[in-house]
Amino acid sequence: MIEGIRRIQEMMEREHYVTDRSIATTAFLAMELKKPVLIEGQAGVGKTEIAKVLSAALDTELIRLQCYEGLDVNTALYEWNYPKQMLRIKIEEGSSRDAEEQESLIFSDPFLLKRPLLRAISAQTQAPVLLIDEVDRSDEEFEAFLLEVLSDFQVTIPELGTLQAKHRPYVVLTSNRTRELSDALKRRCLYLWIDYPSFEKELRIITTKVPGINDRLARQIAMFMQVIRHVKLNKTPGIAETLDWAMSMMALHQDHLDQGAVRETLGAFVKDRDDVGKLSGKPIDILVSSMNGIEEGDLSEWIQSVTQRLEKEVATR
Amino acid sequence: MDSVGDAATRKRGRYALRSRARYSDLQRHVIGFGRELRRRELLATSSEIVDALRTIESVDLGDRHDVYLGLRSVFTSRPEEIPIFDEVFNQFWRRIAQPEDETSPEDDLPSQLEDNSQVKQSGESEEQLKLTSPEGEQPDDAEQGDEESLPLYSPVEILATKDFGRFHADEMAEIARAVLVIAKQLSTKESRRTRQASRSHLIDPRRTLRRNMKYGGTIVELARKRRKIRKPRLVLICDVSRSMDTYSRFLLQFIHAIQNTIGKVESFVFSTTLTRVTPYFKGEEITDALDRIARDVHDWSGGTRIGHSLQTFNEKWARKLLNRHTIVLILSDGLDTGDAEVLRAAMEELDARAGKVIWLNPLLGSKDYRPLARGMSTALEHVDVFAPAHNLASLAELGKHLSS
Repeated sequence: MIEGIRRIQEMMEREHYVTDRSIATTAFLAMELKKPVLIEGQAGVGKTEIAKVLSAALDTELIRLQCYEGLDVNTALYEWNYPKQMLRIKIEEGSSRDAEEQESLIFSDPFLLKRPLLRAISAQTQAPVLLIDEVDRSDEEFEAFLLEVLSDFQVTIPELGTLQAKHRPYVVLTSNRTRELSDALKRRCLYLWIDYPSFEKELRIITTKVPGINDRLARQIAMFMQVIRHVKLNKTPGIAETLDWAMSMMALHQDHLDQGAVRETLGAFVKDRDDVGKLSGKPIDILVSSMNGIEEGDLSEWIQSVTQRLEKEVATR
Repeated sequence: MDSVGDAATRKRGRYALRSRARYSDLQRHVIGFGRELRRRELLATSSEIVDALRTIESVDLGDRHDVYLGLRSVFTSRPEEIPIFDEVFNQFWRRIAQPEDETSPEDDLPSQLEDNSQVKQSGESEEQLKLTSPEGEQPDDAEQGDEESLPLYSPVEILATKDFGRFHADEMAEIARAVLVIAKQLSTKESRRTRQASRSHLIDPRRTLRRNMKYGGTIVELARKRRKIRKPRLVLICDVSRSMDTYSRFLLQFIHAIQNTIGKVESFVFSTTLTRVTPYFKGEEITDALDRIARDVHDWSGGTRIGHSLQTFNEKWARKLLNRHTIVLILSDGLDTGDAEVLRAAMEELDARAGKVIWLNPLLGSKDYRPLARGMSTALEHVDVFAPAHNLASLAELGKHLSS
């Protein structure tokens, strides 16, 4: 591994983000090649978190643009502050300025409401991190506009002229894959697919984010999640659910998993009524009781056999 | 970790020093790698290849994992592509890793040289690439080419070329009228975007203020805006198998009329395989279009394999044509002779990708029909609207579904 990638990995770990080589390599290349990164993955695998951690690690501002259907240029780029403009006009009544002077006064920087994209472009001191979250929820028209901004980092405001970014922002786009993004946008970006974490990674996440957790409990929770994600559920729990659950267990002063405790805290990681019905009772008993005495080496075999038993049990319901 | 990093740096140095001689080899490998990925339908045009060349200069060439992760982030753009990438990468790695195993006498030269040669590399790589990969420069043309080369002929299918005969003029006029009603309903869907307008109840503050500057800012005239109209995209998939014979002529007229009224329409017909027929209907006389289709689509009035045909659609077209605003209109009686599981899976994917799936079934017009056909009942789970399509009245009714 070359120095640059290792440094990024260390930086992210310092911000308590448990990372792996693929994330660090992509982040490194994004900086080297000066390209945006498109991150895709299931909900709850920590896509948005990457941008936050990156900005903390680089000690720079994080600017977030949350996408939704119907998001348009006015909301994403800029808007004039009309009430302020009108007040100013009132104040200027009876002043000696002519209409032209007044116009250039109220269409100037102090009257401009900068939305995320413009803020990212007009950053003065250092390159910010621009997070364009859930870009798949915006429409194609907006995507095309975004492509334009991302290719030359300059925008034109009719009243002010063209603004060019002094510091090219680090851009992170996330998508939940509710639709395919255009090839043009994908081509502009480096791509990173984040899967649910492996057992080892999830264990590290738990111990990093839930300080003081008992080793045995952390291991059991990580094992439990590995299996539960293999079961077909309406809402597969992500990392946030794992952490919520671990903290619930801590709050209840549990130092290991048992059937009773899991039953009581099921709501921390199963958030769909049908899923609760599927899992509660015997499936959980099978999972918890088979956990004892499983060593690190037998893990993948255990996951496989328990998943099979669980699926059989769930299918009969 | 440190020792690994150091060893890797040294290795990279060795590579870079010898790279002047080997450089074109490496470049060729990367370009070949990109082409192979492109052949396997990954997004790998010349711009990705340029990025790939820059990537291998940025990462440690001696470290397989670095090279792998770096190139993967350049060349893939969907998780489904990762297994394909892995496979092609293995071959690629074997090719480029080979020269790394030889030892070079120039191992210990100062690292300053390394930097120089690397800068040179990146300059050259983009230049040369343009020369060596001319077809990569026009990705759009290439895609066009792909579209035209859909499989149209298979010897297994029934080779029946049919004459469609002529149509009654009054029939045509009525169809055109029904379609206009539908088209009008279709094109009234409002977007959250706005455009300027002279009469509307939405005020546009930005333009209002500008317009009233001449009155010293006192609001005299109001500028207004109106919601933009969003036209949905329509994909028509029409069954022309034998069981649909009575209806397919009628339905094709419907396709023709709709395609010439509404802008974004793509049309396909299927029996045992799927054929894209959009080009046939563009501005042509309906009878000419039908003649040409009958000539080109060889499995006309053959058996029905809906599942298989929809699967083909998903594989070849869904990514390009479907989004949340697309309405997919399937015209079929659902009498499938293929595998019900294939149909179920294909419908599930279609449903997930498209905004709305409408299934028009001519048999629904008869009172005795219940969707008991094996294919139909599996597919129904993933259909938003299931409606009859046996006469003009039922088609007119369809407009309501399309615009709701």
